[in-house]
Amino acid sequence: MLAKSRHFIDLLFVMTEKELRARYKNTFFGFLWIVVNPLLQMLVIGFIFRLFIKEPIQNYYLYLFAGLLIWNFFSISLTKATPSIVNERSLIKKAKFPRAVIPLSIILSNFVHLLLAFLLLFIPVLILGTLAKFWLLELLLGFILIITFTVGLSLLTSALNVRFRDINFFVQAALILWFYATPIVYSIFVVPRNLIWLWRINPLTSTVQLFQSSLAGAPPPGPAMFISNSILIFFVTALGVLMFIKESNNFDDWV
Amino acid sequence: MMEYKKSKRVTRFAAKNQNSTVITLTEVTKSYTIHHEKPTLVEHLINGRNESFNALEDINLEIKKGEKIGIIGPNGSGKTTLLKIIAGITSPTMGIVKTSGMIVSLIDLEAGFHPDLTGEQNIYLNGMLLGMGKKEISGRIKKIINFADIGRFIDAPLFTYSEGMKLRLGFSVVVHSDPDIILLDENLGVGDEEFRKKSFNKIQEFFRKGISIIIVSHYLDFIKKYCNRAIWLDNGVIKRDGKPINIIGQYLRSQ
Repeated sequence: MLAKSRHFIDLLFVMTEKELRARYKNTFFGFLWIVVNPLLQMLVIGFIFRLFIKEPIQNYYLYLFAGLLIWNFFSISLTKATPSIVNERSLIKKAKFPRAVIPLSIILSNFVHLLLAFLLLFIPVLILGTLAKFWLLELLLGFILIITFTVGLSLLTSALNVRFRDINFFVQAALILWFYATPIVYSIFVVPRNLIWLWRINPLTSTVQLFQSSLAGAPPPGPAMFISNSILIFFVTALGVLMFIKESNNFDDWV
Repeated sequence: MMEYKKSKRVTRFAAKNQNSTVITLTEVTKSYTIHHEKPTLVEHLINGRNESFNALEDINLEIKKGEKIGIIGPNGSGKTTLLKIIAGITSPTMGIVKTSGMIVSLIDLEAGFHPDLTGEQNIYLNGMLLGMGKKEISGRIKKIINFADIGRFIDAPLFTYSEGMKLRLGFSVVVHSDPDIILLDENLGVGDEEFRKKSFNKIQEFFRKGISIIIVSHYLDFIKKYCNRAIWLDNGVIKRDGKPINIIGQYLRSQ
């Protein structure tokens, strides 16, 4: 058992290293691209949305950047993990190994990016002095939620996509809507009271809020929001893990 | 009414004593869904259950340590499916598969290599996918490189390798994984003439050792010469099982 989990972790790291090396092969700026993307997004969205927004959000650019980093981690991981089992069909046909390392290595490599980008984010945060009182706690909670949800949902979509290739297209379409359904460019306080339940069933709401609160001085998520989001994340993740275990025995039959 | 057993797979550590059973298949059935195109979610919902066919039906098989088994039979008789089930690449629809020790297949040698990684990085990736530990690989890496005859290219990315070099590297990783059971496909020839000899010698070395070998081949003479047991598969069931000389004689007469 111990040897097995040891092998699983070693294999996961080797696969993650492969992901990272393969992605930045022959690029000059390498890892910098991971920051350049949200930086450009931040500047464009920040400029345009400030023209519309009624109540200005404090430290708006910082608020945007924190949310965008989390969003990019989530959406890139999900986009790449969903078709990953199908894309790696030659591995599936070669040997018996824990199939979960395929989507998990994609998520882990993106997480390395996220951590590096966060280190850079701390420079303006410290200069502006926007750290919350319980910033570390909020940051840790936020990381736990976003990682659990990304892993659970990716396991679910990647397993289902083997038999139903529509899932991949569905995910791509859903992510476009999802971005606007999450308080990244706006604040949850612009949402009318009678519609707030919609945000309660979006697990990313309090996840993003935790980061915005921790680093950009925004208010933390309310208890009802946090609890409903967490419960949903738990169920999605449990479903994802179970579905992946069930389906992974027969991936070979469908790829 | 037939009693349907749940499918199950049991893996144990390598058996030490001779004459112990290393592979046991009990009432193994594998059915595949017939799909002419990749299914879509909508199709699945409309059609409900799909039609299926049995690639293997009620297979009972016991393989002892050190046995050299040749599997013969016409195309589509279930030979490859049987190898896949033994290798753990796919799981049976019904029945129980028990194996002990490390199983590797010399099929699809290049699978699992990544073009952007160097030869050495690919050895680690591939070896771990086969089930080797990181330390085991480190201990054997010199041998693997020497046997593959890659020389100073070992630090170059794999896309600079010739087809022959890739095959040699793949072969070398597998044969140095210290397997208990080897699955072989018909194409024993790897690379150029010199390496073909080298690889054939290595395979013969395995035949002399106490390693169990299962080979799927149309080269009946090879099976007659090297195997001590032959299994004749026909339409997913074991038609005959016994001494190669007898089985192959019967098989040829039936053609």
